[in-house]
Amino acid sequence: MMATRRGVIEVIDFHKSFDKKTIHSGVNFYVRKGECLGLIGGSGTGKSVLLRSLVGLEKPDQGQILIDGKDIVPMREAELVEIRKKVAYAFQGGALFDSMTVHDNLAYPLREHSKLSTSEIDKQIQEQLEEFGLLGTDKLYPASLSGGMQKRVGLARAIMMRPEVVLLDEPTAGLDPYNTKRIQESILSLKSRGVTSILVTHDMPTVYAVCDKVALLYEGRIGEQFTIEQLRQEPPGIMSQFINGESA
Amino acid sequence: MENINAPITRFMLDIFNFLGGVGLLTRQVVKELFRGKFYGKLLIEQVFQIGTRSLPLIVVTAVSIGMVMSLQFGLGLEKFGGKLYVPKLLAVTILREIGPVFTSLMLAARVGAGIASEIGSMVVTQQIDAIRALGTSPIKTIVIPRVLACLIALPLLVSIANIVGNAGGLMIGATELNLDPSFYLLKVLSTSTLSDYLSGFFKTFFFAMFISVPSCYFGLTVKNGTKEVGIATTKAVVVASILILIGDFFLSKLFWIVERSV
Repeated sequence: MMATRRGVIEVIDFHKSFDKKTIHSGVNFYVRKGECLGLIGGSGTGKSVLLRSLVGLEKPDQGQILIDGKDIVPMREAELVEIRKKVAYAFQGGALFDSMTVHDNLAYPLREHSKLSTSEIDKQIQEQLEEFGLLGTDKLYPASLSGGMQKRVGLARAIMMRPEVVLLDEPTAGLDPYNTKRIQESILSLKSRGVTSILVTHDMPTVYAVCDKVALLYEGRIGEQFTIEQLRQEPPGIMSQFINGESA
Repeated sequence: MENINAPITRFMLDIFNFLGGVGLLTRQVVKELFRGKFYGKLLIEQVFQIGTRSLPLIVVTAVSIGMVMSLQFGLGLEKFGGKLYVPKLLAVTILREIGPVFTSLMLAARVGAGIASEIGSMVVTQQIDAIRALGTSPIKTIVIPRVLACLIALPLLVSIANIVGNAGGLMIGATELNLDPSFYLLKVLSTSTLSDYLSGFFKTFFFAMFISVPSCYFGLTVKNGTKEVGIATTKAVVVASILILIGDFFLSKLFWIVERSV
């Protein structure tokens, strides 16, 4: 199939099964540059698997994943490194390295991929900590941080390399309103810098607060994408049922 | 009929899966070892974790075994008037077999379990995925430092165990068997050859691979939560121990053939 280019990210005919159980049966969607797409759907519908596939952590059984027009599905780990510098993934639980301090967690991508001096890295880390409201936590280990702080450090680490795309896996799940708001502000700040993002979540207020468009993953497929305005005015069919808790 | 065969088939499939997985992991380790960035600091950390931190355990094991064997050899040979052969017998046994095998088994128990559980926990908490998502390789940052650290630490630990084991034997020889310490030491030094030492020493590189690669493999293949971390840890220790014991026979045979042909 020829790759048509409609967005920074484009998923074409994505199929994925686990142990003969079909999770995705022909998912198609795209995200334009600078947009934030909210990906919603019931638990176990494969939202995270889909998100993981966009950065090559999972391989689809069939289909194409175009990042900047390049299909990443046939790429090897070594080739995916360049993609992963551009596409950041913020894990649901933060996935912080528990043997490293917050400072070293944030320094990790810079030490790996940049030629910055130690003082420049330290400066960037302090700026990032300030932006995420984490000043003073740099010497702490992840185990001594709250869940909300771990998520914020995870997001801060993911965007240390100034990526073009950020994939957010339930960044506000289990957080109190204060931390939820801080995460929302961080996503909006990314948006203001022109960063494209996909937000997997069940948290509809966050979707309304930060997303431009919303897509529902239902029965292994994604139907039409709706703008937030459309969603506010008259959520169509199954989307309305999902939002109102009438179907999974 | 199907029910009778099912466990055997599953067992055989598990073995083939393990062999294939370990083979592929070894290939990746070799491939990535000579490509890109080398993590010297992580290697030093692992040498400390695997080598230095195992030292007390290895010393206690070696000295105990040296003492027990010296006593047993002494008691057994005394009946035939062969007490004077204890130093030679003990030295050769420790250098060729007991030193490398027991040190490796102890390391398999301590380090193999540690590697599998640490990597398994990292898989469960998505830290391995995070390493990949941040554009780095878990083989380079996690597996290679541990494999190399085992390859560096185990031969050194075995060398120490050989010395300490013989010292334990000497202690018992002098105190319980009434052998003159100078005579004991002279006998050990004059009757043990370089080939005795090398035969045991070369085995340790294989044993280091038998411990580190399966342990990393079992850690990396953890899938379904923390329960599997425990299973992976057990498997790592059991498989590494079996590989050491079976491998020891074939390596001894191999070195025996080599020694005879030289």
